[in-house]
Amino acid sequence: MSELPKQWQSVLPHLGHTLPEDVAPPSSGEGVSVNLPMELVRQSLSQREFWDIPEPVLEQYRRYRPTPLWRADAFARAVGARVPIYVKYEGGNVSGSHKFNTALAQAYYYRKAGVTELVTGTGAGQWGTALAAACAWFGLRCTVFMVAGSLRRKPYRGTLMRLLGATLHESPSPLTEVGRAVSADRPGNSLSVAIGEAVAYAAERDGCAFAIGSGETYSILHQSVVGTEALDQLGALDAKVDAVVGCVGAGSNFGGIALPPFAAAVREGRPAPLLLAAESSTTPKLTRGVYAYDRTDSAGRGPMEAMYTVGSEFAIPDSHSAGLRYHGAAKLLSAMRFHGQIAATAVGQADALSAAHTFVRTEGVLPAPESGHALAAAARLAVDGVRDRDADHRTTEGVLVCVSGHGLLDLGAYDQLLAGELHDEIPDEQLIRLATANLGRPR
Amino acid sequence: MTNTLDEAALAVVVKQVLLAESRLRMDPADLRDDEPLNGGLLRVTSMGFLGMLIKLEDVLGIELPDDIFVGRTFTTVDDVVQAVRGRVA
Repeated sequence: MSELPKQWQSVLPHLGHTLPEDVAPPSSGEGVSVNLPMELVRQSLSQREFWDIPEPVLEQYRRYRPTPLWRADAFARAVGARVPIYVKYEGGNVSGSHKFNTALAQAYYYRKAGVTELVTGTGAGQWGTALAAACAWFGLRCTVFMVAGSLRRKPYRGTLMRLLGATLHESPSPLTEVGRAVSADRPGNSLSVAIGEAVAYAAERDGCAFAIGSGETYSILHQSVVGTEALDQLGALDAKVDAVVGCVGAGSNFGGIALPPFAAAVREGRPAPLLLAAESSTTPKLTRGVYAYDRTDSAGRGPMEAMYTVGSEFAIPDSHSAGLRYHGAAKLLSAMRFHGQIAATAVGQADALSAAHTFVRTEGVLPAPESGHALAAAARLAVDGVRDRDADHRTTEGVLVCVSGHGLLDLGAYDQLLAGELHDEIPDEQLIRLATANLGRPR
Repeated sequence: MTNTLDEAALAVVVKQVLLAESRLRMDPADLRDDEPLNGGLLRVTSMGFLGMLIKLEDVLGIELPDDIFVGRTFTTVDDVVQAVRGRVA
């Protein structure tokens, strides 16, 4: 029986390089303000490796952690895998995804800092649900801007958030300048618009703070419970893996599953496992984007961060994996990618949902479409290997893959799969080049 | 460093960190208390401010509480000194 980790583990001391500094947004000339609790500031910038998980957060973790890890032999046989595939499943909590791991931590720290309401933007709705639940647990108000198309596809995501006490708005909305500008001028990049609306909304209200679910270094730290637990569980099974796979929107579940094994290998002087990021072919920042300073939200109110990006204003093609339709990867993962520590592969939604379909029939868990990307990539790796940046990656021992959430609120997408109506829209190379042409490169 | 700094010494430490953040080489004693953080002389951005907080913790050997800066706007050097002062007195 594995135990719940009592500490989060930071990979920063093991990187061998430092992250490029963020670039502040243009100053309004009205002084300097910080809307981040000090502990989250420390967790973003410090080289400390281990961070005690506060007891009130542990208390909530105990309701659903440790999460299951198992050897998915039926799935491996079905896809023709040459090596074992181990699955870590993060869908077994009220939010239905790994996002709850950082939502609880953030709600705890913000409440301690005197904040009374958290505001956020969400694509697939998993982060919005997670934050709504965490706010309910810690007595905070919660306002969520959800990408309108995604909410229309998954109305019960909205129901769940409202059940948890959140106020929900479709984005683009008429409530913020960001939303009004998008509605009038251009379709925009849906998730970064929702985030931009949340930033603007929070800035105008006392006691209110913007919270983000993925991409920030502290949120990836909180997700380390996933990988730390998985290492413990693999040890208990006497199992060995030489590759770790997760899907990447901004990168928190991938960071959570992949970075503790990376850190352990560096600490022990062993070769690190292959870390394979599975991204959506609609949003191919890691495989076709550029490493540059880009906005974290469409309004540009947040800092510019060094990231692999397809451009914050790039109109990302539609897909059922709204959680992966974010223009950039986390600065931490982007820096690791830049330094050759992370491999990546792009997966189309038809392949992703087919892999998820195989998974539910063989392993009895219906993955979120986002997680289907990770399963498709894991299968690809375990069968033929993956080619990335002119290198062939193969696994000889085993693959660990994170199924980051369940797909029980994504049945419309699976209906389309069964009807043979899914198709993939691949972004045009020229459009990506145009959307990234004016971005500054990290020095 | 202990938590027994008097206000004048604390102001010097804060000014040293602010000058370093603004990449300025000048005597902290010459930096006015009412100098704007983001004006003609100092160039402290919100991002730089975060790193500065961590440096202040390191230099002063203290841990600033979670609620010290959330929801507040700092305009001058003295705003920062006063916010930190209650934590090291």
